[in-house]
Amino acid sequence: MAAAAGSGAGGGGRSFSFKVVLLGEGCVGKTSLVLRYCENKFNDKHITTLQASFLTKKLNIGGKRVNLAIWDTAGQERFHALGPIYYRDSNGAILVYDITDEDSFQKVKNWVKELRKMLGNEICLCIVGNKIDLEKERHVSVQEAETYAESVGAKHYHTSAKQNKGIEELFLDLCKRMIETAQVDERARGNGASQSGTARRGVQIIDDEPQAQSSGGCCSSG
Amino acid sequence: MAAGGDGAAKPLQTAMKLAAGAIELDTGNRPWEAYVEYLKSISYISQALLEEAAAAKGGSDAVTPDTPKMLKLAEQCLERAKSSAAVLGNVKPAAHERGPSPAPISRHRRVFSDEGGKLSPFLPPEIFQKLQITKAQGTKKELTPLEEASLQNQKLRAAYEARVARLNPSQAVQKTSLTLSLQRQMMENLVIAKAREETLQRKMEERRLRLQEAANRRFSSSIALTPEEQEQRALYAAILEYEQDHEWPRLWKAKLKKNPTDLALVSGLISHLLSFPEHPIAQLLKTLQHVIYSRLYPIVSQNLADLSTASRTSRGFSSLSLDAEGLLTPAPGGRRLRSSQSLYCMASVQENKVNLRHSLSTTPLSEDLGTESSPQDEAPARLADRESSFEDLERFLAAPESWPTGPPAEPLAPAEKKASLREQLKAIVKDIHNSVDRLLSLTLLAFEGLNTASSKDQCLARIEEAFFSPLWAPLLAVYRRVYQAREVALSRSMERHRNMPPSELGVSANLFPQGSKGHAAGSYPYSTAVQELGLILLESCPQRKLECIVRALRVICECAEEYCAAHESRPQPASAAIGADDLLPILSYVVLKSNLPQLVAECAALEEFIHEGYLIGEEGYCLTSLQSALAYVEALHRGAMVK
Repeated sequence: MAAAAGSGAGGGGRSFSFKVVLLGEGCVGKTSLVLRYCENKFNDKHITTLQASFLTKKLNIGGKRVNLAIWDTAGQERFHALGPIYYRDSNGAILVYDITDEDSFQKVKNWVKELRKMLGNEICLCIVGNKIDLEKERHVSVQEAETYAESVGAKHYHTSAKQNKGIEELFLDLCKRMIETAQVDERARGNGASQSGTARRGVQIIDDEPQAQSSGGCCSSG
Repeated sequence: MAAGGDGAAKPLQTAMKLAAGAIELDTGNRPWEAYVEYLKSISYISQALLEEAAAAKGGSDAVTPDTPKMLKLAEQCLERAKSSAAVLGNVKPAAHERGPSPAPISRHRRVFSDEGGKLSPFLPPEIFQKLQITKAQGTKKELTPLEEASLQNQKLRAAYEARVARLNPSQAVQKTSLTLSLQRQMMENLVIAKAREETLQRKMEERRLRLQEAANRRFSSSIALTPEEQEQRALYAAILEYEQDHEWPRLWKAKLKKNPTDLALVSGLISHLLSFPEHPIAQLLKTLQHVIYSRLYPIVSQNLADLSTASRTSRGFSSLSLDAEGLLTPAPGGRRLRSSQSLYCMASVQENKVNLRHSLSTTPLSEDLGTESSPQDEAPARLADRESSFEDLERFLAAPESWPTGPPAEPLAPAEKKASLREQLKAIVKDIHNSVDRLLSLTLLAFEGLNTASSKDQCLARIEEAFFSPLWAPLLAVYRRVYQAREVALSRSMERHRNMPPSELGVSANLFPQGSKGHAAGSYPYSTAVQELGLILLESCPQRKLECIVRALRVICECAEEYCAAHESRPQPASAAIGADDLLPILSYVVLKSNLPQLVAECAALEEFIHEGYLIGEEGYCLTSLQSALAYVEALHRGAMVK
């Protein structure tokens, strides 16, 4: 079944499917952030019926088609133990905190630890300071946040869901990093045992249209 | 679905309840009671619909949004009633029929067990196969020339006898001539037939060789042939041969070529294909199903046998937990993990990055039996008015392997046995995957037009539907056995907290209606989602079951929006953007209200059979959320997670 994965390296019309988990305490605004992103540009398709819990988005980055599946997780403490079944097989994680709430930043630190423990370095981490429209009430210093992010191999972003700032950049950057990781992963697998066992699930690199080479070109703008 | 949870939804709700009760009996090894309950459900549904129709007096409101659901439910109940009837009707005669022959003792013991009337809901594999065959028959069969000739000769003979009978005794000469002419005709017929048969056979042989060559060419890329490849090659040759004799594959291929994107056509083709029992793919399907069934059957029947002995000696699980505690405490600590720790256990597997996806189902958990709650606490709970499902469960878990009658001589034995059950299940699951893969690849080989991503998906979905339909029930029985401890914990939580209000589960106040205004007695918030979730039991194909889960979650979002709008008393849609922070508490509430502890096993099985492509999609998300909610509710009775 996983036959399509390893074959046909190179070539244009590639498509990637990535799973991204969204983590953050209750009122940091992760819901508005993700709704903002998915409603914004490609408004042709109504957002899924699961509202802000689960969202999908199609992108085209340099001829590579990317299907994003964004999984929201429950931020409440009482559901904390259930986290792992949500993040397994994730390619990326977006950890959101509220810049006016020191506590929410602490929570992010806890999640980073847990994610690294569970998924190692294969997952692309984004730490996001949301609500930069409330700069005056900032309680988490930019310096501290960025230093921390760097120390754990994550990238830091500043966003405002309210003013729609920084969100597009955040997701675009994340996608590029995930593509990079997937390609490295794929190359590593290509060198190793040819088709031993099932490929790591989650990184689905699908060669769509395997026979239709004649149609040429990969510039199907999404 | 607009009517969130008011009076309008009531008949459906009652019908659902009835059906759920019947299913519970069905899975609980009580086919007769189940049969009666199914019939009651059907009767209730038709009565309710009849009343509705009568009330509408031919108006357009004779058909409500619930009507199709009710009808579907009735249909499904009827299907199940049929299979229950088959169980009731078939097992006994089959056993009698085999009476004198040295049939396996195990079956006799089971069928004629002193439990009286408690027949296994699962038929022995031989009968399973017979059913497969009788279902397959009834289609016309082509005759060989010799068969045709003998048929003709029979007709000749009959005609001759009729003529002779009409003759007078005096016309002896004519009679002799008639006899002679008959013999001559019959001889000629046979000679002609033989000659035809010979040439035909020669031609067939030539053709078989030719097709074999074609198949060989098709597979020529691989040099060394594995047995599987050889088998596939043979099957492919068989398909080519079939296609020489039958017109329809060619017609379908042409249709596919004309409309390559028409997915309905793909579904049509698969069901058409499987309706021809002599087609090699349909034959392979039957064979593979039988193989899987034969592997499942000994396990489920063993469990049922264990059950019947156990229910005589044990009474309920208060004694069980006592025994279990006595037994398990001296066991080496490392062997025993509490079910509450299953998630951590899983996490540690993930850490090792072994088989990430299968972690939940393959982690060698050895379940505890609720040693944390003291047995004294259990006793009053048992006295509470129990529902039949609970009793069933009780019997189900009271198997001897989890609680020994004698002194606990070998504390590790149960864990070992459990592990072996897990191993067996794992192997069966692997076989199922392989079987489905084989069927799919053979189908794609036979119909090249299907080899696009979306057609392939559709094709796989149809094959699975056909493949799983007779197998899900026994498969689930094994899963329930493996996940027994979690099921017990969940059912305990459901019992204890069944009246817990949504707010205590963390549902925010604006997402459920306050007070009881506008709510009939027995109705509760999100009841439509609970109903939707309950439908999962009526499906027997993983993909369909996943669709049920997705629908249930969608209904939750719809209801939440409705409640939210009602709170703000302004009809502005999409005011409540439900994120996971809201969804998971509501889903936990829905799980609690569903009172279906077997969801643990259903989900574990679904996790195994969900398509890879759906894993990170909406289906995967919904399944994960449901599993989380189940784990949360399961942990409720320990009080650890309520905050």
